[in-house]
Amino acid sequence: MWLSVLGLLLGISLGLLTDMQIPSEYANYLSIAVLASLDTLFGGIRAHLQHMYDDKVFVSGFFFNIILAAGLAFLGVHLGIDLYLAAIFAFGVRLFQNIAVIRRLLLAKWTNKKETEESLG
Amino acid sequence: MRKKIFSRFSIILFIIGLMMAVQYNTVNEPDSRDTRDVWAIRQELSVEKKRHSELLSEIGQLDNTLDKYEAASEESPEQALKETVEELRSLAGLTETTGPGFEVVIEPSPEAVAFGQTIEGISPDLLIRFLNSINSFNNLEMSIDGNRLVNTSAIRDINGKTTVNTKPVQTPPFTVKIVAGTMEDAEKLSNYLLSSPLLDDFYIDDLAVTVSEIKEDMVIEAYDGKISNQYLKDTGGE
Repeated sequence: MWLSVLGLLLGISLGLLTDMQIPSEYANYLSIAVLASLDTLFGGIRAHLQHMYDDKVFVSGFFFNIILAAGLAFLGVHLGIDLYLAAIFAFGVRLFQNIAVIRRLLLAKWTNKKETEESLG
Repeated sequence: MRKKIFSRFSIILFIIGLMMAVQYNTVNEPDSRDTRDVWAIRQELSVEKKRHSELLSEIGQLDNTLDKYEAASEESPEQALKETVEELRSLAGLTETTGPGFEVVIEPSPEAVAFGQTIEGISPDLLIRFLNSINSFNNLEMSIDGNRLVNTSAIRDINGKTTVNTKPVQTPPFTVKIVAGTMEDAEKLSNYLLSSPLLDDFYIDDLAVTVSEIKEDMVIEAYDGKISNQYLKDTGGE
């Protein structure tokens, strides 16, 4: 688990230290990509906790979601429809659902552990 | 298996972190955008170039002084120092200056005299405007009604009287003496004054301006006050 946190910190520090920037027109796409990736991440954590984690689904979902979200936003810009809102809405709702499920799973795990300890003790 | 999952998560989290940092960098761009157009930039460039050339000429002057010191150091360093001090004093306006120049006489306009109007002193605003417009020519030495203008000279109203270096300027007529660097400069300035719209500003105040012929050896009085430099500090070093 600490390896993952280290990866996150490494990514953030690399991005901040190199002072990388993208043109401000593309900032919208990147924000949607970040949202999509967060959605995939929490989906992956949930799947892992529910013991149905699949490596292929997770990695392909990560890249596919990002590309789909950015592509949708791109299409929306060219059609004059705010399609990126659809992506934000979908990912936002899923993100909250996933986090809620993760919370419940962790709570259940914690309660289980406590009960086991009590019954043992 | 577990290790593999975590390594995957690490890679994904690394990408997410990178994306978030880039997004953060992009969003937190300084919002003061450069809105200068080509001409504004050109103008700034010209100011800087001017500064550059000024600095270069200053370096040249200092080099000259250095050469002089070096040449004189064997013979008499005292003499060289004295010369420099004299030069600086003359630049600061502490000595009498002689050079090609002319007199500008500011007097009541004939109409005002004919109508018998009360003649009032020149206003400091008009005098400052006059000097500012003349000062667009470089290298000038001036005195107003016998008061030498130096870098610290102030023109202001004290108790209803216009003063230069805190000494009152008399009610017109009075003279402004101007010495330019060369005969050519003096001629240019005199022509400029003769055709300047400034004369109209003087006329509004019932004043007429007469520019005299250019003299080869116009003499300008020395500044007789004390120059206070309480805010100047030694820069240290050479």
